[in-house]
Amino acid sequence: MAGSQLKRLKASLKEQGIIGPQKSKKQKRQNAQDAKASTDKRVQRHEALASIREQFNPFQFKTSARGPKFEVTTNKPVSAREAMGINGRPGVTKAMAEERRRETLLVDMQRRNKVGGLIDRRFGESDPNMSLEDKMIERYTREQQRSHKKNSMFDLEDDDELGGGLTHMGKPLFDDDDADMAMKDDFDGEELPAGDEDDDDWRAKRRALKRQRLEEVLDAVDELDEEQPERKKSKKEVMEEIIAKSKLHKLERQEAKDEDTELRQELDKQLPELQRLLFSRNLPTSRQGNDNTQALLIAGKDKATFDKNYDMEVKKLINDKRAAPTDRIKTEEEIAEDEANRLKELEEKRLKRMRGEEVSDDEVEDEEKGNKRKSGGDDDDFDIEDEDINEFGLGEGIKYRPTATQLGFDDEDDFLIDDDLVASGSELEFDSDDMEEDEEESGSGSEEGEEDEEDDDEFTKGLLTEAESKGGVFQLPTNAKGDDKDGVPFTFRCPQTHDELVNVFEGIDVTKLPIAVQRIRALYHPKLGPGNKEKLGNFARALVQHVKYLGDRSEQHWFPALESIGRHIHSLAKSFPIEVSEGYREVIQEMQQQRPLALTVGDLITLTTVGTTFPTSDHFHQVVTPAMLVIARYLGQKIPQELSDYVTGIYLSILALQYQQFSKRYVPEFMNFTLNTLCALSPSKPTETLGFFPIHEPAAGIRIKSASKTPVTQIRKLACQDCRSPSTPLTSEQSTSLKLALLSTTVALLKSAAETWHKHSAFYETFSPALKVIQSHLSKSNAAHLPPALVSKLAEASQSLARLLQIATLSRRPLELHHHRPLQIRTYIPKFEDSFDPNKHYDPNRERAEMAKLKADHKREKKGALRELRKDNAFMARENLRVKKEKDAAYEKKYKRLVAEIQGEAGQQSNEYAREKDARKKARSRR
Amino acid sequence: MPAATKDSAAGAASKRKRQEHVDQNKKRRKSGGADTTEPVNPKAQLGKLESEILESRKHYNNIATLLEWSQKEAEDESSDLAATEALCRVFLQLLAMRNLARKKDASEKDATVTGWLRDRLADYREVLLAMFHIDNLTNSALMLAMALLKAESQYLDDRPEAVFPQYFFAEIVWAVISSPVDQLREQFSEAFLDKYDDIRFYTFEAIRDFLQKKNEGDATVNTAFDMLLGIDKVPESNDELDTFYINPPSKKKHPLRMLTQHKKQAQEAWLALMHLGLTRDQKKKVLGVVSTSIAPWFTTPELLMDFLTDCYNAGGSISLLALSGVFYLIQERNLDYPEFYTKLYSLLDADILHSKHRSRFFRLLETFLSSSHLPAVMVASFIKKLARLALNAPPSAIVVIVPWFYNLFKRHPLTTFMMHRVPRTTEEKELYESEGLLDPFLPNEQNPMETKAIDSCLWEIVQLQSHYHPNVATIAKIISEQFTKQAYNIEDFLDHSYNSLFEAEMHKEIKKPPVVEFMIPKHIFTKADAAAEEKDSLLVSLWDFGSS
Repeated sequence: MAGSQLKRLKASLKEQGIIGPQKSKKQKRQNAQDAKASTDKRVQRHEALASIREQFNPFQFKTSARGPKFEVTTNKPVSAREAMGINGRPGVTKAMAEERRRETLLVDMQRRNKVGGLIDRRFGESDPNMSLEDKMIERYTREQQRSHKKNSMFDLEDDDELGGGLTHMGKPLFDDDDADMAMKDDFDGEELPAGDEDDDDWRAKRRALKRQRLEEVLDAVDELDEEQPERKKSKKEVMEEIIAKSKLHKLERQEAKDEDTELRQELDKQLPELQRLLFSRNLPTSRQGNDNTQALLIAGKDKATFDKNYDMEVKKLINDKRAAPTDRIKTEEEIAEDEANRLKELEEKRLKRMRGEEVSDDEVEDEEKGNKRKSGGDDDDFDIEDEDINEFGLGEGIKYRPTATQLGFDDEDDFLIDDDLVASGSELEFDSDDMEEDEEESGSGSEEGEEDEEDDDEFTKGLLTEAESKGGVFQLPTNAKGDDKDGVPFTFRCPQTHDELVNVFEGIDVTKLPIAVQRIRALYHPKLGPGNKEKLGNFARALVQHVKYLGDRSEQHWFPALESIGRHIHSLAKSFPIEVSEGYREVIQEMQQQRPLALTVGDLITLTTVGTTFPTSDHFHQVVTPAMLVIARYLGQKIPQELSDYVTGIYLSILALQYQQFSKRYVPEFMNFTLNTLCALSPSKPTETLGFFPIHEPAAGIRIKSASKTPVTQIRKLACQDCRSPSTPLTSEQSTSLKLALLSTTVALLKSAAETWHKHSAFYETFSPALKVIQSHLSKSNAAHLPPALVSKLAEASQSLARLLQIATLSRRPLELHHHRPLQIRTYIPKFEDSFDPNKHYDPNRERAEMAKLKADHKREKKGALRELRKDNAFMARENLRVKKEKDAAYEKKYKRLVAEIQGEAGQQSNEYAREKDARKKARSRR
Repeated sequence: MPAATKDSAAGAASKRKRQEHVDQNKKRRKSGGADTTEPVNPKAQLGKLESEILESRKHYNNIATLLEWSQKEAEDESSDLAATEALCRVFLQLLAMRNLARKKDASEKDATVTGWLRDRLADYREVLLAMFHIDNLTNSALMLAMALLKAESQYLDDRPEAVFPQYFFAEIVWAVISSPVDQLREQFSEAFLDKYDDIRFYTFEAIRDFLQKKNEGDATVNTAFDMLLGIDKVPESNDELDTFYINPPSKKKHPLRMLTQHKKQAQEAWLALMHLGLTRDQKKKVLGVVSTSIAPWFTTPELLMDFLTDCYNAGGSISLLALSGVFYLIQERNLDYPEFYTKLYSLLDADILHSKHRSRFFRLLETFLSSSHLPAVMVASFIKKLARLALNAPPSAIVVIVPWFYNLFKRHPLTTFMMHRVPRTTEEKELYESEGLLDPFLPNEQNPMETKAIDSCLWEIVQLQSHYHPNVATIAKIISEQFTKQAYNIEDFLDHSYNSLFEAEMHKEIKKPPVVEFMIPKHIFTKADAAAEEKDSLLVSLWDFGSS
């Protein structure tokens, strides 16, 4: 549209035909004549003018002055409005808003402080889908429900609910039947008989009254029925009938209840007898007198004690376990199968631990995760593995089914008969796994004292049963000392520290010590006393230290005794894992700190028992790992000076290998020490380098020299006394025999190590030095010094080693360690957006984008709300002003009217007055 | 001390300093006097003699008396040195009064007196130095000697500027070195040697002179050596030379103010020592600190080259230690060491992983092999050799080398074939099937370029993944994990030992009850029943526990 506003106006007027070229008179006349056409035309003209006016209103549309910000090509159809660049119609919106306010806000304003509201809560009133009948039925049921729900509170008629009705201080006001019963409990028994008759009388009367009333009603109903049998009953009648019937039912119920109550009362009177029958054992004999006195006693002064007793009995009954069906007795095959399954499960757990996986699910990360691994980024965790709760022997709870042992059938010394391989301590564990866990979690206090019962294992079985059957003779340690034929007393104090233990066991022959230990364990079995658990725990700890003590003084014939003590420790460890392991850790720590390179026989024995008490195959174990470190340290760092050092080292090597027998972990120190020992014993110094193990030049007199004459029988096994450095220097014969023993043991050890580790990938590299060393012994010059039997043994060992090495070579393949899924390479090319819209936000961070969106929304809403409020306020002000103006105008009008009226009246009066005056004047003048 | 203040008109600054010093002396004396509970008589007499000397020249003969007393004190270990101290005060004051300075215009009588006084001073010095050998007296004797030294430097000559009395000082140093009391040396280095630059300068000189006079194998050589070792703080520029015990010369170009002169002195002292020849222990000590506190003293460290290369070639732990010195020379002086890496490779012997100096060696090794420009073949040799050695290594060594391998693999991707080698051809596969595989690595080859290690695989580390110690096993596993980490910081893995590993284990408290073996140990020490068809445990079968 070009041109000025005026020109455009003219053009559009002309276009609509409102203005045009001047018309001739004739035309005008013609137009004027055609009246109908003229009105049409006028209407048309008006419309045209309105549209033009609208078109030329500059505030009609909101347009952006500069056109769209970005030229966007889209395939969406463009609306006409958008094409014109119109963003909104302010005039229209304003009018709409005004209108809306008029409808809502204005109404509110006008009604404010004036009009109350009624809410139509009638059911279904506004539901057009329901028929009238439906509505009525629904309403009726609703009403019934409502009244049914809360009719009891103040309903004077309804009295069948005990708790309901009016009360005072929690006691019923009316002497209703139930209330009566309740009161009777409160009254003292003595008063009862006196008031009884009255009460009964009164009640009967009342009941009669009630019944009479009801009958009247029923009669009336019947009458009505009889009178007009065919008439359809009115609604009211129906309702009355219903009510009457329900009252009748109620009455019947009432009566039945009364009868029950009477019966109950009778029974109550008989209760003492019954009670006497039930608890006859517990009651003193005096209470078994005649029934009357008993009843009187109960009713009378003994009431309090009786109640107390009663409460106690009830509580006992509550705590009693309900009778449960006993488990079916299993057949032998089933038992065997269960046993096999259990073993399998334990074995699986062991394998898991060996691989260093977590065994149970409630593992908590330990903070001491690899102290040394500060570098981070490693996903290893060497935390202390925990076990299933029931694994460490606390989960059993009470044993309901007495075992054969408890019944006393099995009281032999069980070392011989116990042939199942598995600790009996965990016998019932898997049958009732879940149940026990639940019990534990709920922490039922009553069970705690007995929780570890299941752990009385083979060692105490017999004795415990005896002790129990003797009926508490053993419950407290007596000081009376009786000795049996071995000179072992029957009773002991329970030693709490090692010093005490040494004191207690003083005078007992070491070979008899297991008996003493067994007795202590029986005497202080946790079942027998509340403090016994801690005592026995401390005893276990002391016993661990005693093993070392005994080991240091050990003699050859003590070992069976030491072994059974070791077994005692193992079975104690099941009940007291923490105490036993702490005991071991203390001993190990002492070794490490005081004599890492001078271990004693006691240390060796302790380390041996560690290996039998705890699973040595675990990836990490709180006791075994430090023990293994101690062993390895000796093997790795000790530079043997004497033969006894070699013997100690060989013992530790055997232990190290035995520890790894199952998990087959490699111990570098083992190889170092054994190879070194072989080299040291070799008759001559090896000329070539045999391998990459550090060789320590042996002290003088270690090498085997000219022992070829020694007979075969002289090649003995090593024994523990060889570990001690001899008080008197060995004779050459003794030392030769010891050396030969060392050599043969070491070779045998290497052979079994090769068998243990032959699956390892670097087996060849590990054991080819061993082969070389053995072969160097077999060289002519060296073999001449050795007895032929030993030479043949060496040759055999070398052959088997060579065979294993060959197998290892054959089975070896290049390493292929990195068949990992390839890692994604991080890209640094920016992400390209196909249809980029500048108005959108492309935040890659989803959360942040959502947050920004939310914030923008919030801001916009807030602004809108503010604007609306402001407009509302303006509207209200405007409206108030209008109302006020109206009021003022009305007032003004009224005022003016009144003033005019008064003025008129006054004028009238003054006129009248003037007239009167005139008249009087006239009259006077006339007079 | 009115005389002291009145007398010296020259140099206000020096006066103040001296005065302070004298005051200090006074204080010390006072406190000393308060402590001692001697009978009054000898003390009063002492005071009288002392004051008389200062009053007039007539009583100078008292000095001789005091000297006698002092000599007596020097023989007695428990004396309180009252006379010696008094004498020191006397000499300090006489010096301050310039009574000992030879003046040109002095009369013959005066000259005689001065000469006599100087002789007494010399006697007194001897007494003091003799005290250096007596256990309880060394402390105060040293302080007195040093005080005297200071005064002498100031007033012994008639010159305005202080002159360091080199001869007296050298005597002090020799006495300190030859004294049997270790505490004296400690005190000397603590109070003077470490503090004052001039003292250090002249000490070097004195030690050099001392060593030049001595023969090899003298016990005192060892103490001189220790003393030299003790001097470790090397100043970096001339400006740092600013703490002097004796008023420094004002000349800018004076040797005391030149760092190069200091270094020269130190170097000469060290060379004098090395000319005497070092024992094995001394060598180890020297090599231990050569790069940190000896070589920096040298103006021409190349002089150390022969010594270091000899040590490096010696083998064993000495060669390990020499490595850092050689490295210093390579780094600082651009020393060209032929076949350095071959030599380095030869250091990897059976003992290296068990050595005390393992962590030190690994620090250096890490530096040497940190270049990414080294041939992969050589790096592979190092890796393979160490892996082979790890089969017999303690856990603390394995813990170091595996992360180091990781870093090398990251840096030299060619070497990763040692972890992952897929047979390419079917023939190859068949060969493996039929003949297995022998390790192509030549462990005894000396040249790291020809060991064929790069064609080998790290079976050893895979074996160590089942090491008995859980942490070691887990660390060994990093080479078969994905290589996502950039590098390990080797420093975190050095410095472990059996003890530290053990302590780490023991510090973990037992929170959860440990697992108990579920198999009942039926036989620990006794033999299994033959009837039950059980096998003896290894221990029982190999050991004699008395049961047949």
